[in-house]
Amino acid sequence: MIPFKINEQEVEAQEGWTVLGTAKQYGIHIPTLCYHEAVTNSGACRLCVVEVREDNWSKVVISCMYPVREGITVSTDSDRVRNVRRWILEMLLAECPASVEIKKLAAEYGVSATRFAVKNPAEECMVCGLCVKVCQEVVGVSAITTIGRGVHKKIGTPYGKPSEPCVACGSCVSVCPTGAMRTRLDSIRGLGQAKTGHSHQA
Amino acid sequence: MENNKKIGVFLCQCDGRIDPWIDLAWLKKELEGDPAIAQMEILPLSCSLPGLTRIKTLIQEKGLDRILIAGCETRILLKKFYRELEEAGILEGQIDMVNLRDHVAAVHNLQPQEMAAKGAKLIGAAVAGLATLEPTVSEKVDFVGPIMLLGGGIATYPAAQELLRKNIDCILAVQTDEYEDEIRMLHEHYPGERHYYDRLRKIMEEVDESPLVRRITVGELQSVRGRTGRYTVTFSTLEDGPPKVHEVGAIIACLDGQMLNQGSNFGHDGKTVICHTETEELIWTHGVPGGKIVFWINDYESQTPQFAYLSSRCAWSIARYMVENRKDVDITFMFNNQMEIPLSAEERQIARKHKIKWVPYDGALRPTVQAGYITYCDPRDHVEYEMPWDKLILSPRRSVGIEATRIARILGLEGEEGKFLEVKGEKVRPEQVGQDELFLAGSARHPCDLHEALRQGRRAAVKAAELAEKARLGTLYAPRMVCSVDQALCTGCGLCKEICHCGGIEPVDGLGGGIPRHVDPMVCTGGGTCAAACPTHALILQNNTSLQREAQVTALANSLAEGEVMAYGCVWGGLAAADHAGLKGLTYDPRLYLLRVGCIGQLDPSVLARAFIEGANGLILIGCPPGDCHHSFGLDHTWSRVNLMKKLLEFCGLDRRRIALGHVDLNQPEQYVILAESFIKLINELGPIERSPEVQEKLRGLYATVNNSRVRWVLGATLRRPWEEVYPGNQRNALSFDKDLLGILKEEWMKARIASLLSSDKRFFELKELSQSLKANKEDIMVGLQEMVKEGAVSRVHKEGIAQYIV
Repeated sequence: MIPFKINEQEVEAQEGWTVLGTAKQYGIHIPTLCYHEAVTNSGACRLCVVEVREDNWSKVVISCMYPVREGITVSTDSDRVRNVRRWILEMLLAECPASVEIKKLAAEYGVSATRFAVKNPAEECMVCGLCVKVCQEVVGVSAITTIGRGVHKKIGTPYGKPSEPCVACGSCVSVCPTGAMRTRLDSIRGLGQAKTGHSHQA
Repeated sequence: MENNKKIGVFLCQCDGRIDPWIDLAWLKKELEGDPAIAQMEILPLSCSLPGLTRIKTLIQEKGLDRILIAGCETRILLKKFYRELEEAGILEGQIDMVNLRDHVAAVHNLQPQEMAAKGAKLIGAAVAGLATLEPTVSEKVDFVGPIMLLGGGIATYPAAQELLRKNIDCILAVQTDEYEDEIRMLHEHYPGERHYYDRLRKIMEEVDESPLVRRITVGELQSVRGRTGRYTVTFSTLEDGPPKVHEVGAIIACLDGQMLNQGSNFGHDGKTVICHTETEELIWTHGVPGGKIVFWINDYESQTPQFAYLSSRCAWSIARYMVENRKDVDITFMFNNQMEIPLSAEERQIARKHKIKWVPYDGALRPTVQAGYITYCDPRDHVEYEMPWDKLILSPRRSVGIEATRIARILGLEGEEGKFLEVKGEKVRPEQVGQDELFLAGSARHPCDLHEALRQGRRAAVKAAELAEKARLGTLYAPRMVCSVDQALCTGCGLCKEICHCGGIEPVDGLGGGIPRHVDPMVCTGGGTCAAACPTHALILQNNTSLQREAQVTALANSLAEGEVMAYGCVWGGLAAADHAGLKGLTYDPRLYLLRVGCIGQLDPSVLARAFIEGANGLILIGCPPGDCHHSFGLDHTWSRVNLMKKLLEFCGLDRRRIALGHVDLNQPEQYVILAESFIKLINELGPIERSPEVQEKLRGLYATVNNSRVRWVLGATLRRPWEEVYPGNQRNALSFDKDLLGILKEEWMKARIASLLSSDKRFFELKELSQSLKANKEDIMVGLQEMVKEGAVSRVHKEGIAQYIV
């Protein structure tokens, strides 16, 4: 057992647990977006940041991938953490301004506008890649992928065509934290992907 | 396998998404009375590392052998639970999940205790299902022999090369002794591939020299028996000897399509107007012809525009060979302006250098072949011009070929007549099927060039090699949720094979009827519509049986209140839409209780009947949108089963609308809500079924009827493929068929009720008494009784001139 503190509360974790996992076990809330238990963590959205204090120094880290250590003190809602989260939410608002989920979350932190340049006001996707991971790790087909690099990176299928390996299971829609996959699903699975029945004209 | 039937139920708080909305403590108390539950615990987050650690500890401490997680979506997290709990001895089939979050907590405006009450009913049903599970032993698959490459297609060689490089033995079953002969005749299947011959020769030489490859010359393929890992392949011998039999572990079918010549409507005469294969033959025998040569890419005109690219590449390759080998040749391409010139920048340069012209024509006007000329309409000025030619070369017509079709049939690939062999597999997750496709390579699958055929060969070999390697290491296991046949019950009617196109069902041995079937677990996808159709219940979907589902509906139906409705949702349609309704935060009427099923086609009519006997007032099956079934037509088959139930409900004096089939797309949760609410409204308008002893007696008759092998056979025979238009008995009229079905149902339903009455009280009954007890007219009863007497199920004696009946 590894004892440490989250928000003044004494908690105990086991080898291999993360700060986020331990917090959830004790019912301590940390906001997350790209985190999902079904896949390996990627730490893409940075929203789950917490402040970790060890002896006389402290740092802000992402809790979803930070391994627990004996004697650390974690603050999930300190001023410093809230400040970082506000910045992240502002960036997310610029990245995917059309996402209802992001707007709701930002409002909770008092963020209603962004100072960053908005590229596409209709964008819902924050390119966290959770859908890609689910498709690969849970479904096992890799029908979707990230396309492009850096600021051009987006989610899609090879050549932007409906994906042949896609089994139209909707897992990507289920895990999407911003609701962006709902409108994208049809262009991924295509029409007539699973067509087999009476109404299908071969 | 040890069957302790110790069920552990884990109630997940889901990080605050379930707990405050559903009173889990109350729910836990509510379930404590259930004797089937060995262990119950509330976890903050069951799918996280801390949660899983706790579950594993309890499995070990309490000896749990089946787990129920009441939390969130099966579709996303079930696989993780299996992966994590496998080391604790929990295998596929031994975990079930109830989606408390999206089917209860997020979608209803109820008090936490009311929410918990709904959750308890759903959990109760899932627990009953798990308690009925009889886990099977995981089946290890061995390879008994080498990998056989048959069919004689050119993909044989790259496949063999791939296998020998991986140190795997293989047998090449081919028709010719010399591989050079195969190159000589290759243009009959792949014209215009001369540039590939040297590379192909190298592959063939490598294969020829390898000691791992055995080349056998065979006659016709006669039969293939067995299953993955253990096939018996029989060939006829070339001389009139006895057939040759080989035992092999896997089969890669290499089948090449055939090129046919165009008909007279394109002026084809085989001398001056010829096709690609004939051109190749001409080059082999007489060398490159001189003069004005026109290639007409006429695929649009011969109704196969999809092959225009392939034909034009092929023609380009022939043309290039011509200009590189003869000076005085003048080549022109004529192509429909709907297509693009299929050349790279480099190839365009070559075309210019050799003065090969590409002339587009207006596709609206079909070019006409004349002696020495071809008329076409220029798309730029819309004037008709004539192009002179000495040789006119047309695109070929592509077909599967008779021999390839025959071999495909033997291999169990039943496509549509005249269509290419590439059957679109079932759109399911890879883990649901042992191998994701049949090993098939070559242009009989779908028209392709030589490069693609060779690539397919290599790819098939890589996959087969992976299986062989796994089998060698002893780590190749068949999926657990697949069909299996009880050989003692199977009558060999062949219905299962007819309605499921997965290709995994074969007779144990030999041809024809009366021979029990078996299922290749490595091919089966666990769709289960075949099991739900089996007249004798010989076919079962193991670890996911109809008995489990009967237990589920029994538990649920017993707990439902009057206005509450039972539903089944398939994981691809209804259930997924319900999950998404929760994620989207929609709210709807809480009186719908949704159970999970892999494919709606898994639902045996006996399950549907059981629900009504046990107290359900309404049952809706929610599948994918029409035509979107991911398995073998499970949705379409369900329509027939629901239709059967409607007829029988009417016999019982109940409203036909109490059972329905619904469709919803997973991405349209709003539609799901509309569907659910409209069905709840309907059932509430109809009111509860009056459970008099009479109605219950009739419903038991209904249950017996749907399990009757004659009814199941007739129903099964209607579950045809969509493109089949003829009904059994060659009846083309849907109405007359339906009337026949109704007649059979009425007869068997009555017989079932008579049998039940007679065997409940083993004394003599008069017809009058039967008629009174069953509240049916004498004529109807007499028809059934006569048959039962004839079958020997009932004996008739006469006392004082009156017929009396006894079992």
